[in-house]
Amino acid sequence: MNFDLSDEQQVVKDLATRIFDDLATPERVRDVCADGGHDADLWQALADAGLLGLCLPETVGGVDLGSGMGMVELCLITEQQGRRVAPVPLACAVVAARCIANFLPAEAELLARFVAGESIITAALAEPGRNDPFTPGITATTVDGGLRLVGDKPAVAALSQATHVLVPARHEDANVVALVETSAEGVHIEALVTTNHESQGHLTIDTVIPAARIITDAAALDQLVWHTLVAHCAIQLGVAEGAVALAAEHVSTREQFNRPLSAFQAVSQRAADGYIMTEALRTTVLNASWQCDHGEDPRADTLAAAYWASEGTQQVVLGAQHLHGGLGADTDHPVHRQFLWGMQYASTLGNASTHLERLGRLIAHG
Amino acid sequence: MDITESPENVEFRAAARTWLLANATPRTESSVALPLDEHVAAAMAWQKTLQAHGWAGISWPEAFGGRGESSLRASIFNEEMSRFEQTLGPLTVAVGMVAPTLMAHGTPKQQQHLAAILRGDELWCQLFSEPGAGSDLAALATRAELDGDEWVVNGQKVWTSLGQFAQYGILLARTDPTVPKHKGITYFIVDMNDPGIEVRPLVQMTGHAHFNETFLTDVRIPVENVVGEVGNGWAITRTTLTAERSSIAGGGAGWSVEGLIELAREQGRADDPLVRQALARAHSRSEVMRVLNLRLRTAIANKRMPGREALIMKLAYARHWVSTTDSAMSLLGAQGMLAGSDAPHDESWHQAFLNQYAIRLGGGTDEVQQNIMGELGLGLPREPSTDRDIPWKDLPK
Repeated sequence: MNFDLSDEQQVVKDLATRIFDDLATPERVRDVCADGGHDADLWQALADAGLLGLCLPETVGGVDLGSGMGMVELCLITEQQGRRVAPVPLACAVVAARCIANFLPAEAELLARFVAGESIITAALAEPGRNDPFTPGITATTVDGGLRLVGDKPAVAALSQATHVLVPARHEDANVVALVETSAEGVHIEALVTTNHESQGHLTIDTVIPAARIITDAAALDQLVWHTLVAHCAIQLGVAEGAVALAAEHVSTREQFNRPLSAFQAVSQRAADGYIMTEALRTTVLNASWQCDHGEDPRADTLAAAYWASEGTQQVVLGAQHLHGGLGADTDHPVHRQFLWGMQYASTLGNASTHLERLGRLIAHG
Repeated sequence: MDITESPENVEFRAAARTWLLANATPRTESSVALPLDEHVAAAMAWQKTLQAHGWAGISWPEAFGGRGESSLRASIFNEEMSRFEQTLGPLTVAVGMVAPTLMAHGTPKQQQHLAAILRGDELWCQLFSEPGAGSDLAALATRAELDGDEWVVNGQKVWTSLGQFAQYGILLARTDPTVPKHKGITYFIVDMNDPGIEVRPLVQMTGHAHFNETFLTDVRIPVENVVGEVGNGWAITRTTLTAERSSIAGGGAGWSVEGLIELAREQGRADDPLVRQALARAHSRSEVMRVLNLRLRTAIANKRMPGREALIMKLAYARHWVSTTDSAMSLLGAQGMLAGSDAPHDESWHQAFLNQYAIRLGGGTDEVQQNIMGELGLGLPREPSTDRDIPWKDLPK
């Protein structure tokens, strides 16, 4: 057993750190979030650096794509994204591309365009209310040549920018996943305003998808959901890390009562609690991402990580914002974005309470 | 002790409800939030209506134009009013903080503002916090120097709620830098129309500019606008801050536990045991808040300063706010994270959720309140201080 990163993983992490540090500056993030919530330049830079294809299989359908790395590496990248609160649909898109590589290998050309940064693929996983991605609100019925999909989906990441979206649907008594072109007739997209100002859209659909673009293997939705959730946990880890770092800097430099704020135990201990929570989250993310790559069933480890990510990150960003005083809510100060991101992802694909409920059901039934 | 409502108060409550039903709009889940300027104007108009119908200043002394009734009756009226869309939120500084301070410490001429506040003619703001003086408010650096029969004020204030709309402000400035920091502060009334005042809005992550930065350059204040004695501003500030804590904890939040229960039903989750526990927790917190408020009113009725009650209420209210809005977000699922015009219920839960920071900071942070609580409630010794006895001018800046 070895929790240290390999040399290759360290290179990936360093590369991601450099790209997000250089390109996702607070000013850039502010401008992008005021204008659609998707950083196309950053997306292209990630493609040019090879990070979009990194976690895809080496070849699909005879086309050379990725390096065969997996969820551990993707999480190293999305962690850095979260630290800089960079608005790109990395988690969702890479997981969707991996799903296509595994279950629709004939789509190698689409994947090649994705790897080059020319085509964004997303997945419509969120559901209203209980937010259970395994009970899709879209229904599929058999028609000539494929399935007709009817229904709608709230809160789809980067839907306005995506060329393709993976859409889970209920077909008879099973779930299927359809690869849908966003420009197809019968596909309606409405851009949404979100808490963290990342691009999201509402999808309304009534269209026929050819059988060649339908995945009937139940493992596809499993992979989509659990892997997206883990990649989101890594975003949360980065968000928390960034928040704790900003708070530590603020309380070390801001003076009140003739001493730094950090000289007050109530302040330093709250900051330390944030640090401890962040490290706890790191441990669960490393574990869950490794289980996704190598384990038999990543569900319990993923739910444990998702619980820590929702509950823990909320506490960390609340604390970090609180330690900034009024500055923490001022849109001129970057820490408010850590707060908004922490809150956004704490309620994406479930929240602390639903993750606990699912984990409880899983372990209680054995 | 008797916690039942007296027949007279039951009658008072019924009369209040009857009048409100005839003159106000019941709050519903579809109530629409107004833009900030209209929200302020609506609150002032509502205060005017209350005054015209004899429902303003219920617990104010008759000498100041009030009804001279118990503060319990005032809170009964507020409780009834909270079921309606009409709110006095923007008048919190004027009615909740300036009025009690002027009643206790103002000159007869300064107390003439009370009638205007009661009529809804004056919006006030609070010019206390500074970039360098937050929790350590007494370290404030805004200077006031005497020039003939006027004070000339220079400095910068921050977190000035609704400063862009206010006609008057209560202002703390340093009039004597040669004495320790708590001793050289004077409390002023300032006309916000003075040409030396510049108010710059600050945009919060809620998307609104509730707060402002306020720059004061050679602002001239007549000596008659000093509240209390020159150099005795800190003592008067305590009155205002205690009133602020009770005002914050007094509600007017725009959300309620009833609303949370409605939301659970609407989302089809009212039978979910986890949701029911969250609802029950919210209900029990709000009951504690209600009874704490009655204790606070008792303290006032029995001529005690409700210092401890106000501290506990403000802390408890901040936690109640955080937990209740968190439950609402949990019920809304993915839609809870939609903002602006895409958010459900006209963004009311989303705004309340994002605004939780203000409740934990405004009127003194949770940590400051807990420190005071340790001293006031438990008699713990003061935290050792390195700067209480040093002249303000000799403190490192």
